Amino acid sequence: MTRRRSTLLTVLLWLVALYFVLPLAWLALSSTKDNSDLFTSFGFWFGDRFSLADNLRAVFEFRDGQYLRWTLNTAIYAFAGATGASLLATMAGYAFAKYRFPGDKLYFSVILGAIMIPLTALALPTYLIFNAANLTNTMWAIIVPSLVSPFGVYLMRVYAADSVPDALIEAARIDGAGELRIFAQIGLRLLGPGIVTVFLFTLVATWNNYFLPLIMLNSSDLYPLTVGLAQQQAASAAGGGSEALFSTVITGSFVSVVPLVIAFVFLQRYWQSGLGAGSVKG
Amino acid sequence: MRKRATKPAAGTVLTVVTVLSAVSLAACSSSSDEQEGPAQAPVNQAQIDEALNTPTTLTFWTWVPNIEDEVALFEAKYPSIDVKVENVGQGLAQYQKLRTALKSGEGAPDLVQVEFQYIPSFTITKSLLDLTPYGAGDLKANYPEWIWNQVAPSGGVYGLPQDSGPMGNLYRADILKEAGITEAPQTWEQYAADARTVRDKTDSYISNLASNEPAAMVGLLWQAGAQPFGFDGEKTVTIDVNSDAAKQVYAYWQDLIAQDLVSTDPDFTDSWYQGFSRDKYAGWLTAAWAPVFLQGTVKDTAGKWKAAPLPQWSSGEPVAGNWGGSSDAVLATSKNPIAAYELAEFLNTDPESTRMLNEQQNLFPVQTAQLEDSAFTEAKSDFFGGQPVNELFSQIAPTVNTDFQWLPFMDYAYSRFNETIGDAMTNKGDLGAAADLWQSDLEKYAQQQGFEVN
Repeated sequence: MTRRRSTLLTVLLWLVALYFVLPLAWLALSSTKDNSDLFTSFGFWFGDRFSLADNLRAVFEFRDGQYLRWTLNTAIYAFAGATGASLLATMAGYAFAKYRFPGDKLYFSVILGAIMIPLTALALPTYLIFNAANLTNTMWAIIVPSLVSPFGVYLMRVYAADSVPDALIEAARIDGAGELRIFAQIGLRLLGPGIVTVFLFTLVATWNNYFLPLIMLNSSDLYPLTVGLAQQQAASAAGGGSEALFSTVITGSFVSVVPLVIAFVFLQRYWQSGLGAGSVKG
Repeated sequence: MRKRATKPAAGTVLTVVTVLSAVSLAACSSSSDEQEGPAQAPVNQAQIDEALNTPTTLTFWTWVPNIEDEVALFEAKYPSIDVKVENVGQGLAQYQKLRTALKSGEGAPDLVQVEFQYIPSFTITKSLLDLTPYGAGDLKANYPEWIWNQVAPSGGVYGLPQDSGPMGNLYRADILKEAGITEAPQTWEQYAADARTVRDKTDSYISNLASNEPAAMVGLLWQAGAQPFGFDGEKTVTIDVNSDAAKQVYAYWQDLIAQDLVSTDPDFTDSWYQGFSRDKYAGWLTAAWAPVFLQGTVKDTAGKWKAAPLPQWSSGEPVAGNWGGSSDAVLATSKNPIAAYELAEFLNTDPESTRMLNEQQNLFPVQTAQLEDSAFTEAKSDFFGGQPVNELFSQIAPTVNTDFQWLPFMDYAYSRFNETIGDAMTNKGDLGAAADLWQSDLEKYAQQQGFEVN
C-alpha cells in the first residue's frame, strides 16, 4: 500500500486540531496570569508575572476549600451517574439486540427518538417531578436523571448485536444456563469495550452538566464544579461587594478539566476499540 | 448591589423560570386575599427574647461574599440561632430560584437579599413581610430619605437597606491632563465639550456608556429628575420612560454617541475590562461601589484616578442618581419571622457589622450616621491618588432624587431596554424613537399582565 497524502485533508485536520486545542491552550496560559495580566497581555502567551502557584492556592483556599467540595460532588455525580447509566444501558441494549418481544421495535424507536431530545429540554419537567417527590436540592436530583442514557442504549444494542454471537447464547442455553447467567457471564465480558465507551460518554456528560444542577440545587455544598465556577465568575460583576475572581475562576476551570483529560489518555484504547468494532463489523 | 441582566447562563435560566414564575405574576391580583389577615400588632420585647432564645435555624440567601463573618457576630450574640448562609446566584438568577421555591411551596429561605428595584416584584405577590410590626418603622430616621423610600415603596417596610450606589464621575486624571483638562466638568454641557477635547487630543473616550446596562441609563434618568416608573402597590403602574425629562437625557447621549465621543461597549465583558486596562476609557459615570471595584480589576492604573460628582443639568443644588443598592427582606413564608428580622436588623444596623460590611465587603453604606462617620469619610484612597473618595460619595448620597420608584416587572423592563434603547446606542440610532418603542412595549406588557396603566 502506498502512503498517499492529501494536502487538503492535512490542512483541514490541522485546522480542526487547532480549533480544539486553542481554547485549551488559552486556558492553560491564562491560568498562569493574575487579574491585571489577564486584561493587558496577549492571550496566547504568558503575562508579565507567572502566578500559577498563587492562582492554584487561591483556587483551593477560596472559602475554606469550597473548590474541593465541588470537585468531590462532581466526582460523585459523574461516577454514580456513569456507573448506573452504563449498567442500565448495557442491560437494555443487550435485551434489544438479543431478544424478540412484543413491541420491541416500537420501544426502540422511542429510545431512538429520545436521543434527539436534549437533557436541557427535559430539565423543567424533571424539576417538577423531583419537586413533587421532595428530592430537589439533594444529590439524587443530579444522579437519578443521569442514569438514563438513550444514546448508551442505542450504542449497546448495535455493539451487542455484533459482538455477542447468537450461537454462543444458544450453546449456553443448551448447557442449561439461565438468561441472567448468560448475560452476566458471557454478555458482560464480550461487551466490555462497549461498556467502557458508554461509561466514558455518560461520565463526560455528567461531569460537564450545568443546567440540571443549576435548577435543582440551592445549596452551595451540593454544587458541582460547573455551577460553582459559574457562580464565582458572576461574583466579579456584582458591583458593590464584588470580588474580582477572574484568575481564580480560570485556574479553577483549568484544574477541573485535568481529570477528564487524564481519563481519556488512559482509556483511549477503549474508545478506539469501542468505536472501531461497531464500524468494521456493522 | 447592582443587577446583572446579561450573564452567560442567565438567558437559559430565564426561559425555564419564566415559565415557573409566569403563573405567580399573572395570579398576583387574585391571590392576594388569602394572606391578608388583620393588621398585625407590634411584636413586643418578650416575644423577641423568646424567639432569639429558642433554638432556630434560619436560612439566608445572599450573594454578598463572606457575609458569614458578619453573621458570625449575630450567632455569637444569640447562640440559639443557627444561620445557614446560601449563595444561590446573584441578582436575577437568585430571584428566579426564589420564585420557583415560593411557587413550589418549599425551599424558600427566611431572609433574602433583594435589590431595591426588585422589591415591588415581590411585594406584588405578597411574598415579603411588612416589617413595620417588627420594629422597622422606628429606623426610618436613620437613613437618607431616598433610601428609605426604596424599601418602603407603598406604605409598608419590605426590607432593611444594606448598601447603595449614589452616582458620581470617576475619571483618569492623567488622560484628561494629557488633553489639557484639569478640572472635572461641572455641567453636562462642559462634559460634552470635554468629551470632544479628549477624543481630539488623546486615543481615549471620555467614558463608556454601556449599551447593555439599563441600570446606568436609569441612574442618569434618575439624576435628571425623570420618573419613568411607578407602582401603587396594588394594580396601577405608571410608565413614563419617554417623558420630556427622559428624552433630554437620551438626546444628549445620542448626540455624543453619534459624534463618536463616547463608546457604548457592553460592560463587565472581557473587552470592557481591557478597555480600562488599555486606557480606552478615560472615565466612568458610575456608582459609589465602583471605586473599590476598579481597584480589584484594573490595579495597574492605581493612583491615576480621581472622583467627582456627576455633571449637572442646571446650576443650583447638585443632584445625583443611584445605580445599585439592595436590602435584606424577610419572606412571608418564614416560620421564624421575628428571628429573621432581628438578623436583618443586626446585620444592617449593628455598628460592628455595618463597619465590616463596608470595610471587608466594600458595600457603600446606607445609614446617615455611618455616612457621616469621620473614620469612614476621612479614609484616603491610594488608588485615587490619596483622594478621600468616601467623603465625596457621602456628600453625594443625600443629593439623590428622593422619589424614584420601580415597576413590579423590572426584569422585563430591563430586558426590553436592551432591545430598544440599547440597540439604538449600539447602532448609533435614534434613542428617542427607541424610547417610544420601549414605552409602548411596557404599556402593552403591563396590560397583558392585568395592570392598569396610568
